[in-house]
Amino acid sequence: MRRISRITAVLLAAVLLLSLFGCGASDGKTHLKFQIWDVAQRDSMQAICDAYTAQNPDVVIEVQVTNWSEYWTKLEAAAESNTMPDIFWMHTNQILYYADFGMLADVTDLYADVDPGFYQQHYSDISIDNAKGSDGRMYGVPKDKDNIVLVYNKEMFDAAKVSYPDESWTWDDLVEASDKIYKATGKWGYMAYNDEQLGYWPFVYQAGGYVLNDDKTAAGFDQPGTQKAMEFYVGLQQNDWCPDQTYFAETQPGIAFFSEIGSMYLEGNWELMNKCNSFPNLTGKWDIAPLPKCPDPVSGDGRATISNGLCYATAAHGKTRDIALDVLKFFGTEEAQRIASSYGMAVSAYIGTEQPYYDAFKKAGYDIDIQVVEEQFAYSVQSVNNAARPKWKAPVLDELNKAYNGTQPLDVTLQRMQKIINDATAANLANR
Amino acid sequence: MKEQKLSAAAKREQNWAWLMVAPTIVGLLALNLWPFVQTIYTSFCEHLGFGHYRFNGVQNYIDVFSRPEFWKATWNTIYFCILTVPLGVFIALLVAMLLNAKIKGRGFFRTVFFLPMICAPAAVTMVWRWLFNGEYGILNQLFGTSISWLTDSKWVMLACAVVAIWSNIGYDAVLLLSGLQNISKSYYEAAEIDGTTKVKQFFQITLPMVSPTLFVVLIMRLMASVKVYDLIFMMVEDTNPAVTSVQSLMYLFYRESFVAGSRGTGSVIVIWTVLIIGVVTVVQFLGQKKWVNYDV
Amino acid sequence: MKSASLEQSKKIVKVLTYAFLALGTIVMIFPFLWMILTSSKTVPESMQIPPTILPKEFTLKNFSDVMQSLPFVNLYINTGLMILFRVICAVVFSSMAGYAFAKLKFKYKNLLFGIVLVQMSLPSQIFIIPQYQMVAKLGAANTIFALVFPGLVSAFGTFFLRQAYMGIPTEIGEAAYLDGCNQWESFYKVMFPLTSSSVAALTVFTAVFAYGDLMWPQVVTSDVKMMTLSAGLANLRGQFTTNFPVLMAGSLLAMLPMIVLYLIFQRQFIEGVAMTGGK
Repeated sequence: MRRISRITAVLLAAVLLLSLFGCGASDGKTHLKFQIWDVAQRDSMQAICDAYTAQNPDVVIEVQVTNWSEYWTKLEAAAESNTMPDIFWMHTNQILYYADFGMLADVTDLYADVDPGFYQQHYSDISIDNAKGSDGRMYGVPKDKDNIVLVYNKEMFDAAKVSYPDESWTWDDLVEASDKIYKATGKWGYMAYNDEQLGYWPFVYQAGGYVLNDDKTAAGFDQPGTQKAMEFYVGLQQNDWCPDQTYFAETQPGIAFFSEIGSMYLEGNWELMNKCNSFPNLTGKWDIAPLPKCPDPVSGDGRATISNGLCYATAAHGKTRDIALDVLKFFGTEEAQRIASSYGMAVSAYIGTEQPYYDAFKKAGYDIDIQVVEEQFAYSVQSVNNAARPKWKAPVLDELNKAYNGTQPLDVTLQRMQKIINDATAANLANR
Repeated sequence: MKEQKLSAAAKREQNWAWLMVAPTIVGLLALNLWPFVQTIYTSFCEHLGFGHYRFNGVQNYIDVFSRPEFWKATWNTIYFCILTVPLGVFIALLVAMLLNAKIKGRGFFRTVFFLPMICAPAAVTMVWRWLFNGEYGILNQLFGTSISWLTDSKWVMLACAVVAIWSNIGYDAVLLLSGLQNISKSYYEAAEIDGTTKVKQFFQITLPMVSPTLFVVLIMRLMASVKVYDLIFMMVEDTNPAVTSVQSLMYLFYRESFVAGSRGTGSVIVIWTVLIIGVVTVVQFLGQKKWVNYDV
Repeated sequence: MKSASLEQSKKIVKVLTYAFLALGTIVMIFPFLWMILTSSKTVPESMQIPPTILPKEFTLKNFSDVMQSLPFVNLYINTGLMILFRVICAVVFSSMAGYAFAKLKFKYKNLLFGIVLVQMSLPSQIFIIPQYQMVAKLGAANTIFALVFPGLVSAFGTFFLRQAYMGIPTEIGEAAYLDGCNQWESFYKVMFPLTSSSVAALTVFTAVFAYGDLMWPQVVTSDVKMMTLSAGLANLRGQFTTNFPVLMAGSLLAMLPMIVLYLIFQRQFIEGVAMTGGK
């Protein structure tokens, strides 16, 4: 008995040692790790990597997926110990933090040999701004662009005899349709969720207000346009056709919508393919429309949606920096961006490579008015961000919740939100 | 002469002891204590980003201690412990005793009560959230109530406590069961011959004999409860309006250090949490002499 | 007369016992039943409000979907190895230290035991980043070793086994010592076997804890082939955000090895009494 256990112990020790020194690659090629957070885009990312390695057979790129929350914990820890992955995605929420601290390689002159005006010529201003650090240099190659659309249930509109939303729709139409649908079917109208991008932000810009000013040094909750939009948006919850925020805490608008108990909500275009795939039973029963416009904006024409975008980045001091930069250079070309678009998961940022994204829906047999996304880019606004946002995001949400649950009047709430953002931003500027 | 001999033996004993504790102590120092020392240091610093710190004295302490949500989180944590620890450990002891008794279907019942341990917490909370759903949940249908368990600040902590007890019964019962099994049957046989009742047997034999294990379980469960984070986070996301009523200290730490990136103030919260645990543990160690029975 | 009432009270106790166990069984098992039922529903049905109890159309597609998106064989092996090594480390090192703390006299004993207690009171979140950096600097990220790393030593195990050794009469060890055993032999040959049921409990505890550990495996592995079941499941959540049936199917598949392990150790529990009965 004892002998057996000794033998097992020796065997186990051997296995541990083996697994310790596990598989080391020794094929003479350069192995790069490409870290992303969205499993749904693994295939499209692998496809552009394959396109690169087909031309550069001495490089092997492995796409690795980590969940959103752990992604940032890990990337920050890796940045501190200079063990960042060779290539990785960067989000607008985080790029200023990383870029301003010198963690990302400067790619402003990446295409200097090809065309000094490469970015300006092939990417929109929003895409470029999303890849910039606070110093105005570029720290990532633009990857994709998105915006927010109105998703609606056709059957409920039919039942209430309301015409489908189109580009002429205003806030008033939204309210009226919601009311009619609720009275006719008992289903929720527009589900006004307390969210930033998928909530009040687009309404603020439609009304001619802003959340952050142009140089991102001050908040805009004291602006008449912003106040108008906030009053309208927070007030929507008073209608009996709109569930309150405690409802959404348990049943998010998307779930309510695809369970066919709500008629309208806001969704980012990046989710649409997923929704089509997950709910084949609802194919043809729902569609998307442009966001309704503000009928009497303080300034502007009342149209706006929020557009965000990711970029590809590499570490400033990585061991494989030069090869990684070469890969990034390829990722920013028309060829790579066209391939990425064709998977229908994200609209590539390179102007002229969007169409394969829209075609992917038709190819898959999903008949939704996906061109709406393209049309909305004409008046989309860059997603709100500054370097202090991680500090003010949660406190601002906490304040807004007080207005929603009625424990604090809206005007006081807006003043406090204004102060929170301004204080955090000022503290951040002072530290620089 | 004799004394010297003894001390040589004592020395040998001491060397053996050091050898035997060495791996554990070295490991703990490197893996756990050193990061904690760093945490103490960072609590006196402002985090500028990516592990760069600037000393700012007790500013973080002043900031944290002057915030109402910090005191609310402290109270939430204590409240969570009061709700879960005594009841949870009591049920676990009851379960362990029943599962140790000679009853029909013991194997089946053991399996049932240990099941929650091996289920991924993420899946568990997903299911419970469905059950608790205020609008469509089965609990409300069952009791004929219409309580928003997860979004009403009065109920949300109770809901989390139920899930916590449910998930932990298995853990605690395993440990207690092992303690019960260490009790020799001969004690009970002797008691049986003397005609002692089952209740008396429990207080005269079972409780004293299982008390060292019960002590560990209490210490461990209290420590874990003061540190609670995952479970509450998965039940109540930080966008839930009721989050302030259920936010524990480590939840606040997570939002502070990982979401907002303020590791300095986050460290203060950690140190405060450790202090609470320290006080509670010291009290338990002082109190153990009264009821924990070693070396029977 | 007296024996009759005794009989009666025994009966009542029995009824109460079974009532408690039956109630407990329902409470304990209901969420699992729900998981099983959900795992065989379609996505729209799983999200239907109000929910259905029994699936309208029974499907096994979710299980094949999960098997396709996760390399389950790798996950089983990784999880198994991680658990195995963590258990070995916990049992070996904690038994040694627990014995020393309980039965031996040495300088700085209280101080060193204080370290053990302090570790137990520290929240694990503060270790993640420093430990990740240690592993990264060793170049060992994405290996089994990295998965085992935080479990190389166990403060809880030390404390728990110390309690177990404290419960064993000192004379037993002394008798062995007088028989000519040295400290190590009296520990290894005499005392250690007496704690078998506590060791079994620690084994279960360590295994279950390692199995449920989520954040560490996610941070330290980036290759899905090197992940544990819990990390793989979390990855699945990123892929099928609101696809409850697939997530439930994945969770059920992930539970399989633990059920097997449990069935093995169940006998250990029952035999534990017989083994320590000699004292």
